[in-house]
Amino acid sequence: MKKEHKRKKVLVHGPISPQFVADSIAKHQSKTDIGAHSLFLGQIRADQKSEGLVTGIDYSAYEPMAEEVFHRIREAAFQKYDLTCMHLYHSLGLVPVGMISLFVFVSSAHRRAAIEAVDFIVEQIKKDVPVFGKELVGEADQYVWKENK
Amino acid sequence: MQIQILYFGLLADRIGLSSETMDLTRSLNVSEFRQILLNKYPFLGGEKFKIAINQQLAAEEMDIPLQAEIACLPPFAGG
Repeated sequence: MKKEHKRKKVLVHGPISPQFVADSIAKHQSKTDIGAHSLFLGQIRADQKSEGLVTGIDYSAYEPMAEEVFHRIREAAFQKYDLTCMHLYHSLGLVPVGMISLFVFVSSAHRRAAIEAVDFIVEQIKKDVPVFGKELVGEADQYVWKENK
Repeated sequence: MQIQILYFGLLADRIGLSSETMDLTRSLNVSEFRQILLNKYPFLGGEKFKIAINQQLAAEEMDIPLQAEIACLPPFAGG
């Protein structure tokens, strides 16, 4: 049994900027036991709905439970894969089309663990975290509630 | 006994509330609570939602404890 990792807040307000992603990568240059980084970035897509084009997603969450589930997913991934470190961020509030709403960043000594862990983490997040998305469509304050498939 | 009910996403939107308290005259399990909610808000009949008790997803047969925080959770959309 590996030790439990420090709790980190995952939910952040608004989109995740490309600069934040770049800075996160740069912070790992001093960690020389790492040989592989794997990243997943979720971007808001301009889906065509019958009501119009999606212009953004307004995210909300049952925040204390969401943070707890993110923590459990993090611990499960550390147990399952041989990872050096992991960073998770998910947006709350409005994220316009083309912007980033999910950032999963996993590092390991060798590539396989990092690549497989990212896939596992993203699947778990989509399935288990109580985050809700209101897809804004068209121009007249219309919306539809998103549902992960 | 009194329970605190939280609504999220589509459910908060349809009901027009993000939370309310409910006085219960007897203890209930999740399935009975769900039926009370559907009687109060019949327009939720076609909606799928999960119920969490004190931040844990609860099975339908689970009893609701005293002073519980009940959250009604529509389909998840993270990512």
